[in-house]
Amino acid sequence: MELFTPDFGLVFWMFVAFAVLFLLLWKLAWPGILKTVDSRADLIDKGVEYAQRAKEQLDNARAEAKGIIDEARRQQSDMIRESERLKSQLVEQARSEAKDAAQRELDAAKVQIAQQQKEAEHKFRSLVSELALDIAAKVVEDKMKDNSAQSELVNQLLDKIESKN
Amino acid sequence: MNRLLYIFILSLVALFPADAFASEAEQGGSGVDAKEIIFEHLGDGYGWEVPFNHHVRIPLPVIVNGSDGWHVFSSAHLQHGEAYTDGSATFVIGGEDSDYKGKVVEIVNGQEVRPFDISITKNVCALFITVALVFGLMMWLASFYRRNGMKAPRRGLGAIEALLTFVYDGVIKSILGPDGRRFAPYLLTVFFLIFFMNILGLIVVFPGGANLTGNVAVTLTLATLTFLVTNVLATKHYWLEMFWPDVPVWLKFPLFPIMQLIEVFGMFTKPAALTVRLFANMMGGHMIVLVLTLLIFIFSGLFGAGVGAGTTVISMAFSIFMLLLDCLVSFIQAYVFTMLSTIFISLAQVHGHHEPQAAH
Repeated sequence: MELFTPDFGLVFWMFVAFAVLFLLLWKLAWPGILKTVDSRADLIDKGVEYAQRAKEQLDNARAEAKGIIDEARRQQSDMIRESERLKSQLVEQARSEAKDAAQRELDAAKVQIAQQQKEAEHKFRSLVSELALDIAAKVVEDKMKDNSAQSELVNQLLDKIESKN
Repeated sequence: MNRLLYIFILSLVALFPADAFASEAEQGGSGVDAKEIIFEHLGDGYGWEVPFNHHVRIPLPVIVNGSDGWHVFSSAHLQHGEAYTDGSATFVIGGEDSDYKGKVVEIVNGQEVRPFDISITKNVCALFITVALVFGLMMWLASFYRRNGMKAPRRGLGAIEALLTFVYDGVIKSILGPDGRRFAPYLLTVFFLIFFMNILGLIVVFPGGANLTGNVAVTLTLATLTFLVTNVLATKHYWLEMFWPDVPVWLKFPLFPIMQLIEVFGMFTKPAALTVRLFANMMGGHMIVLVLTLLIFIFSGLFGAGVGAGTTVISMAFSIFMLLLDCLVSFIQAYVFTMLSTIFISLAQVHGHHEPQAAH
């Protein structure tokens, strides 16, 4: 039943073989292998972190781009609104200017008309007075055969003119 | 074509033990001594069996310190119960009725005396082969890394690396944390040595076939090494918590001596558990395959060749299943041994309550 009672020879060789294997691998193999495995794990961790950061940045960039586009749209609509406003303002201004000009024309025309009216009045009056004088002269020629009558008439006329003026 | 070749080789391998035992059964005539065959195959020997011949063995060196000093000679001299006289000492392998059955003994005044024996037996030779294999594979991996930087290896080396990272990242670093790097050389050496000893043990012919991890001497040595690593490199707090735990003195009083006893007892049960677990699992696996194969001869002896032929089919199916399962068990037991060793080491790496905890 050597299976259950350890045989010294095997224990001895097992110990020696393990010690030799362990020392050889400890000196020659494990440092290099473990260093590579560790640094590769680090590299992978860093790679994952980097990818995550890149994704974050991409998301940020996307949001930023969206912001810029929105801003541009807003500015565009602002500009359109502004130009609309300017247009209507210009039209309004033009309209009011035209109105003013028309008013001025009208006013000028009115003044002219009034002047012409006055001139016409003057002309008419002088014409009427000439006519009246002519008529009066004729009437007076007829009547003024005698001196008394003449002087009476002159007085009457003078009175009339006085009262009239 | 390749697959056909595999099937041919596998069926040859599967048939081999049947053939070997069959010839023996024919010669013996009177049935099979199952117990004898099983323990012969599970045990150690001074020569290595060759396929298809039960009488020729590959001779191995015998190294003994007898009554008159050291003797080194080939085990070929001791075959078939022959005595060999080297100088003034006579050696023979203990027979059936000897106290040292199957071991080299010296005949001193007609009495059998067991000399100090460190022969290169079949198990020791298999151990050397495994050590060489593990060393070669690890050097291969190391040189691959040296040449290719951080590039990942493919195919065979890739499998080795997968095992290595599985144990290193999954067990050692996750249990020991920052201490992992310190203990990794020991734990990885243990893992690969056990794994390849298990796998080589499943191969029926020459470089394999030795039941190494199913031998208590091997597992005991490994467990002792873990015990030494655990306790020699243990922290001050580990011993403090074992013998003077951080509880009020009045609480310690009634049970204190018993608790210390239990703690010390626990120190030794851990390696004992390691020893028995690996040993029993591997030996059990080998034994089941042997018993399934032997069933063929036991049944043909009892009920005739017809029943034996029927049993062959069933036995082979179960044997193949068991061997496939043993491939899995080979890995699992190496993994479990490494994991438990890591846990025992981590339990001894207790840091003070104010220091950052490295393990648990």
